[in-house]
Amino acid sequence: MSFTQIARNCGRLAATLGTKRMASGAVIQSQAFRMMHRIAVPAVANQVSQKFALRSYSAKRTIEDIKFRVLKVVSAYDKVTADKELASSRCRWQTQSVRRYSAKPPLSLKLINERVLLVLKLYDKIDPSKLNVESHFINDLGLDSLDHVEVIMAMEDEFGFEIPDSDAEKLLKPADIIKYVADKEDVYE
Amino acid sequence: MAGREAVKRAVQQVRPILSVDREEARKRALNLYKAWYRQIPYIVMDYDIPMTVEQCRSKLREQFVKDRHVTDIRVIDMLVIKGQMELKETVEIWKQKGHIMRYWKESQDPKPTDFLSKFIQGVH
Repeated sequence: MSFTQIARNCGRLAATLGTKRMASGAVIQSQAFRMMHRIAVPAVANQVSQKFALRSYSAKRTIEDIKFRVLKVVSAYDKVTADKELASSRCRWQTQSVRRYSAKPPLSLKLINERVLLVLKLYDKIDPSKLNVESHFINDLGLDSLDHVEVIMAMEDEFGFEIPDSDAEKLLKPADIIKYVADKEDVYE
Repeated sequence: MAGREAVKRAVQQVRPILSVDREEARKRALNLYKAWYRQIPYIVMDYDIPMTVEQCRSKLREQFVKDRHVTDIRVIDMLVIKGQMELKETVEIWKQKGHIMRYWKESQDPKPTDFLSKFIQGVH
């Protein structure tokens, strides 16, 4: 249904309602209705003016304003993605077959690379700006041996297999981890 | 003369507890850390302590960092054994909630530093 059609239908509905009211003799009611309409208009105008006032206020750009706006945008973005995910999953539910056993998505070297770096970026003791595929955990990133153990455990959790201690002590760079995971999962490209 | 040499060598070389070199002792310590780290979420759940997993992990690290200066292999081994015993006691719930909370030492008053409070508490 197009917009014009909707508008036309609404008009028709209003006309029928009006005639019914007139027929029943409830003129006062319809007048009140009209008054309501008049009252509603300034209210809307008020809202609009408030919005403008807000805008002009935020043009000054204090730290609080920026923080507030950023948080608002971020929360809105959060909501949107959640809805999208929900909607798309619902669509998929209807269109695709539901049969999905415990098969993992196929890994590629690029994907492993991204996942390793993401885990490392989310680890709070690593400075993301210093992080590189070839950076040494202990010498370049300033981690101690306990941090290194934690990193290896995070990798175990990420890729879902256990890394024995004898191998873990050799994985001193992100590149080593990527190579190790690729070997373990038989990924060569 | 040869006998004395043998005695000297025997005295110089102490019997190892578990590890024969530094690398092995280090491996044991890291293994213990890993075991504790993995166990912490279950400890928090089982003992119902008013601490988060993050707080427990920082406490675990604190306990390990406390003994960072230890270089003697036999001492490291002994500390690792003690740690394993504590882990075993914790896992099997031979401990109680208070024993876990004792790591935070909340009920212990800090040692007085200024003269008057030292005097009042009788600490010199």
